[in-house]
Amino acid sequence: MKVEGTYTLPASRQKVWELLNDPKVLAKATPGIKQLDPLGGDTYKATIEVGVGPVKGTYAGQVSIADKVPLERMTLKVEGGGKPGTIRATGELRLEEQDGKTIVAYTGDAHITGLIASVGHRLIGGVTKQMVGEFFKALENELKS
Amino acid sequence: MVISHALGARIKRREDPRLITGRAIYVDDLNFAGMVHVAIVRSPHAHATIRSIDTTAARRAPGVVAVWTGEDVKARCGPLPVGPRIKEMKAPKRFPLVIDGVVRHVGDPVAAVVATTMDAARDASDLVEVDYEPLPSVQDPEAALEPGAPILHQDLGTNVCFRMTYGGGNVEEAFAGADVVVKTRIVQQRLIPAAMETRGVVAQYKGGELTVWTSTQIPHVVKTTLAETVRLPEHEIHVIAPEVGGGFGSKLDVYGEEGLVAALALALGRPVKWIESRRENFIATIHGRGQIDYVELAAHHDGTVAGLRVRAIADLGAYSQLLTPGVPTNTGLMCCGCYRIPNAHAEVIGVFTNRTPTDAYRGAGRPEATFLIERAMDLLAAELKMDPVEVRRKNFIPPAAFPYKTPTGAVYDSGNYERALDKALERADYRALRDEQAKLRKQGRYLGIGIATYVEITGLGAVAGLSGGNWESATVRVEPTGKVTVLTGTSPHGQGEETTFAQIVSDRLGVPVEDVVVLHGDTRAVPHGVGTFGSRTTPVGGSAVYVAAEKVKDKAVQIAAHLLEAAPADISTDGARFTVRGSPERSVEFKDVARMAYKAYKLPAGMEPGLDVTHFFVPKERVFPFGTHLCVVEVDPDTGEVTFRRYIAVDDCGNILNPLLVAGQIHGGIVQGLAQAIYEGVTYDDEGQLLTGTFAEYVVPQATDVPAFELDHTVTPSPHNPLGAKGVGEAGTIGATPAVVNAILDALAPFGVKDLQMPITPRRVWEALEGNSASR
Repeated sequence: MKVEGTYTLPASRQKVWELLNDPKVLAKATPGIKQLDPLGGDTYKATIEVGVGPVKGTYAGQVSIADKVPLERMTLKVEGGGKPGTIRATGELRLEEQDGKTIVAYTGDAHITGLIASVGHRLIGGVTKQMVGEFFKALENELKS
Repeated sequence: MVISHALGARIKRREDPRLITGRAIYVDDLNFAGMVHVAIVRSPHAHATIRSIDTTAARRAPGVVAVWTGEDVKARCGPLPVGPRIKEMKAPKRFPLVIDGVVRHVGDPVAAVVATTMDAARDASDLVEVDYEPLPSVQDPEAALEPGAPILHQDLGTNVCFRMTYGGGNVEEAFAGADVVVKTRIVQQRLIPAAMETRGVVAQYKGGELTVWTSTQIPHVVKTTLAETVRLPEHEIHVIAPEVGGGFGSKLDVYGEEGLVAALALALGRPVKWIESRRENFIATIHGRGQIDYVELAAHHDGTVAGLRVRAIADLGAYSQLLTPGVPTNTGLMCCGCYRIPNAHAEVIGVFTNRTPTDAYRGAGRPEATFLIERAMDLLAAELKMDPVEVRRKNFIPPAAFPYKTPTGAVYDSGNYERALDKALERADYRALRDEQAKLRKQGRYLGIGIATYVEITGLGAVAGLSGGNWESATVRVEPTGKVTVLTGTSPHGQGEETTFAQIVSDRLGVPVEDVVVLHGDTRAVPHGVGTFGSRTTPVGGSAVYVAAEKVKDKAVQIAAHLLEAAPADISTDGARFTVRGSPERSVEFKDVARMAYKAYKLPAGMEPGLDVTHFFVPKERVFPFGTHLCVVEVDPDTGEVTFRRYIAVDDCGNILNPLLVAGQIHGGIVQGLAQAIYEGVTYDDEGQLLTGTFAEYVVPQATDVPAFELDHTVTPSPHNPLGAKGVGEAGTIGATPAVVNAILDALAPFGVKDLQMPITPRRVWEALEGNSASR
């Protein structure tokens, strides 16, 4: 399953980059993250709680940041498993500054197994879009605070 | 055959009161003191290597008694059966849990957690940590044939399980000399059998005997194979199929869970229960169909078929189950249908894919055969601008040609295909329907008339390699009080032989149906039997009862003659009473004969006491029921919705033992057949995840989704069994799918739509019409 889109944040690229690299902000902004513990080297142990339609569950896994080109792009990798199945997702973020604002272009690909795949597959696209929206909204709120 | 007060009568199913009032006992109703429950950890991946399994947390969870992985199974269990051996077949070994470290489909069992309650077992199963290394998987059977495709079973070195060819005549010449050739590619989508009762197993080892209650169609086969799987002498194993809530072929198997639960009961010394959840039923019980058929039909301008070429690629899924290869080979055998096709060639290829294994599902290879030839006949009719009825009529095997051997090797016993077709046409008023269709088209309404004329095989044989040959056992035991106990090796899950077999005995012995009880499904009570599948209950199992009852009657006549001091030839009987011919005052009642049969000193010299006969019936050949199904639909071109207008089925199952039960079988069969046409279909994503994982996504029709059925019959008795009966359990399914699809495509003919993928959902119809919008 693939997602892509753009989101404009009212801040400089520098500011947005800093936010995206702050584990505290990531933990706060990413929907469903209950816990994020650094394992070193841009890798975090994560506990994520997500509901896809009737399939609700807690997933234990890892979040890592790779392919970093400061101020330009980064790749977020999420791997987790729980009672309803497993998730393997990668998301690439590209940052571009325009008139003091930053446009974040994102593309993502997720592989899911188990009950979330069989029961939730028709809803997961919508849920993902909603989560991406919530993530950027939360980043925007961080910028305001 | 004589249709008496009992045989051929519309007697209501005697088993129904207990079934519909909740008094029937299913596997899940069994509870024993100290019983423990099993939850199975299954692979979420279509193909992966197991790096490690950590059961530490699961073992510590409340209520947990044991956690088993493949290692435990390796030490305790032998392999499971992998199907009838066919030439050069390559089938991997199977065990109750994955023991070679590779999972090959979503749902492959990896570990078993045993706990004191079902909830505790399921909760603890979440704590089993399996570390998987995902491997590339292959979903499409044609892709699995490509060089470089991921190989499921490395030791086999190929995804091809078997290749078989059927045919005769000179196909190349027939095609070269033909005026027209029509071609099509058909995808027989996978179906989920979806029995109302999921599978379940309870096992108990007590007093040197292992008792296994399992929801199965073949208790005796389970007993024999369990002896190898759990390494116990067969006579110490007792298998019981209690009430079974539907099977449709999905319980015609020996599953790993049967061996697993039995092995756990032996190891733990406690009764063990496993009940399959609906989710597991969708991923771990066999699927049906799953075949891609390339079909080419060559014909002359007058509609005479010259040749048929079929290439069938069967999606076997990850393993070969009990009968897996036997399903697509039926398609090769039966692909000529009702037609005299002198030159035919069918290649059948069985291919492993990273999906749930497929196996027999209502019709098992014959629906696929009927569908491909019936679609091809309609395509030919369209190509030649002939009426589909006329093309069929032109090519029918004539009644005088029976027994008829097809070039693919099937020997049809008896038939009159045109009579069934004519009856259906008459009942439908076919001409008037065609007129109405033409009139409505002018108004922008699209009526479709679909015809399917089918022939199929029933009275199917024993499980090759396990019991061998085609036979069934029956015991007819007259108790000293004159009541009758019948034991049958068939094992019902909706067939109704508690009623029909009682009718056979009542007919033969003259005792009331109420005085006959029919027992089944218990290997300690019933002599070795084969089981229930392939519409074999009546033609094979019923014939065994018939012959056993005849033998009982012969002995009863001899005893009566002895008591009346007359010659056996002079005894006449109406069943209830034996009378000396010409001396009506010299008579004895059946129940007195029964009592005397157990008094050794009252019997003729040398006669064994008892009135108790076991017969193992072997039919001469398999039998071939046939018929015509005619479906009328209306298709809404704006929404793509298909509405049923009429459904007419004329089936010929030989002599009819009970019209009510035959109608019930046809009704259910048609519902499952039309469901394949427009409702049901398994969908996987590219990674082998089952997307139709619940009844919300997998559409099983409800009562309001199906039309009223207009049923009729012709009767062409089979010469191969004393009842003259042919099976009827699958006929409805076989006739319905092509009848419905032909009707929909007939409705869409003005739009130039020639083929549609099943299930033909409103969306698929709508998209096809959008694609052809220029023609509107």
